[in-house]
Amino acid sequence: MINFEEELKKFHPSPEVEEAVDTIYNQDLTDMADLLVKLIKDSQQQEQE
Amino acid sequence: MLCYQCGCPLSEHDFCTSCGADVTIYKKIMYTSNMFYNDGLEKAKVRDLTGAVNSLRQSLKLNKNHIEARNLLGLVYFEMGEVVAALSEWVISKNLRPKKNIAGSYINMVQSNASRLETINQTIKKYNQSYYYCTQGSKDLAIIQLKKVLSMNPRFIRAHQLLALLYIDSEQWERARRELKKCLDIDRNNTIALRYLQEVDAVFAKEDASGNRPRAKRDDTVRYQSDNEVIIQPMNVKEPRKGSFASLINIGIGLVIGLAAMYFLVVPSLMADVRGEENQKVLEIGSQLDEKSATIVEMQRQMEALEGEKDKVEQELQGYVGSNGTLETIDNFLDVVSAYLEGGDVVQTGAALEDFAAKVEIDQMSQAVRRLYQAVFAAIGPELGTVYYDAGTQALKDELYGDAIANLEKSVFYDAGNVEALYELGNAYRESGDVEKALEAYQKLLELFPDSNRVKRAQRYVDDLSQD
Repeated sequence: MINFEEELKKFHPSPEVEEAVDTIYNQDLTDMADLLVKLIKDSQQQEQE
Repeated sequence: MLCYQCGCPLSEHDFCTSCGADVTIYKKIMYTSNMFYNDGLEKAKVRDLTGAVNSLRQSLKLNKNHIEARNLLGLVYFEMGEVVAALSEWVISKNLRPKKNIAGSYINMVQSNASRLETINQTIKKYNQSYYYCTQGSKDLAIIQLKKVLSMNPRFIRAHQLLALLYIDSEQWERARRELKKCLDIDRNNTIALRYLQEVDAVFAKEDASGNRPRAKRDDTVRYQSDNEVIIQPMNVKEPRKGSFASLINIGIGLVIGLAAMYFLVVPSLMADVRGEENQKVLEIGSQLDEKSATIVEMQRQMEALEGEKDKVEQELQGYVGSNGTLETIDNFLDVVSAYLEGGDVVQTGAALEDFAAKVEIDQMSQAVRRLYQAVFAAIGPELGTVYYDAGTQALKDELYGDAIANLEKSVFYDAGNVEALYELGNAYRESGDVEKALEAYQKLLELFPDSNRVKRAQRYVDDLSQD
């Protein structure tokens, strides 16, 4: 049986148009390729040391 | 695909032909990102929007520079009513690739229509308001608000879900099912909607098995919000219907009242307007008539004056014109002049000139006549003045002052340079007792002939007469 209170917790307010800028700035754009490049560079640095 | 280290295009080898970097894992990441994009595209094509969102997000987590995946994710968000999320994806996409990017068109499409953007914003605000109503326990208000939201944006998935949840909570199973179906029409694999629908179907199945189909709980009231007030309108109360005959009677009474109002209120006003206009026209015509009458009277007066002048001129002309049509007066004048030139008497000539001057106005005559008249006058003037002077002095000696004054006046008239005549004229007036005329004659002498030998006496007479 569905519990209304529990289900309601899964909903959240929708960002308004005025908040679009904040939404864009707060978005984490780090992807797997970035992580890979970082790992490779770190390993290269360790090798050099 | 470009090398992550130097940016050169990668070949089929597992290393960069430019910088020699190992790109084996990098290529696998890129391929996996593309695979998720393809999966997301397939899901979006069959309206599995939730699945498409998940796949596209995976694709972007692997490769944030996958512009097509990001644009498609924005489109899917837009279709689900998540406009702000869609705009965010498109803006990021546009920043990553400023040129040859369809995201710019999408952004312009949304932003160019200000009223549409405002409607979208209002929809989001109302959804948030209804969410807060839910958290505060005002479920009825939340339902009303969500209905408004969905009337403005029927594709808002989250609003459908929340409304369905509220219906389920209030055991309005049929309505909940309807909302869930609408939600699934937009997003066929929406997990929440499917789960709720499963719950609703279970309730229906349970009731079907017991033979007691659940009926939708009927709302006895309709509630809606107007500004800060909640209006609650009962559903089952109906206005009492009246019979059609009574309606006809009411319509008839209304018509009669309307006609009466028209007759008593509108018609008198119209009549007054018409009468006012007629009176105005009558006044205008009257004033025009007065002006024309005054003009006629003035013209009659001018005509009478002209006729009088015409009669006068005709009479004068008759006096001038003789029986044979020539100007008789001028003929007579010419006769007098001819007689004088042939050795005529100066006295007769003078008398004829006086008669001519009395009959006509010398100044109005032609230049030739005027010159002839002046020439004759100048010729006979001194001689005639002497004749009248002699007669005047003789009459003065005889104490016939009237004759003396008449002759001396003529002498002065014909011979204005005769100082003796003027002196004797003053004496004649003085002797006759006409002091004023005597003074006038003496003063004229003093003025015109200041060097004359008569000046001293004239001055003495003037002094004596002035003292008297």
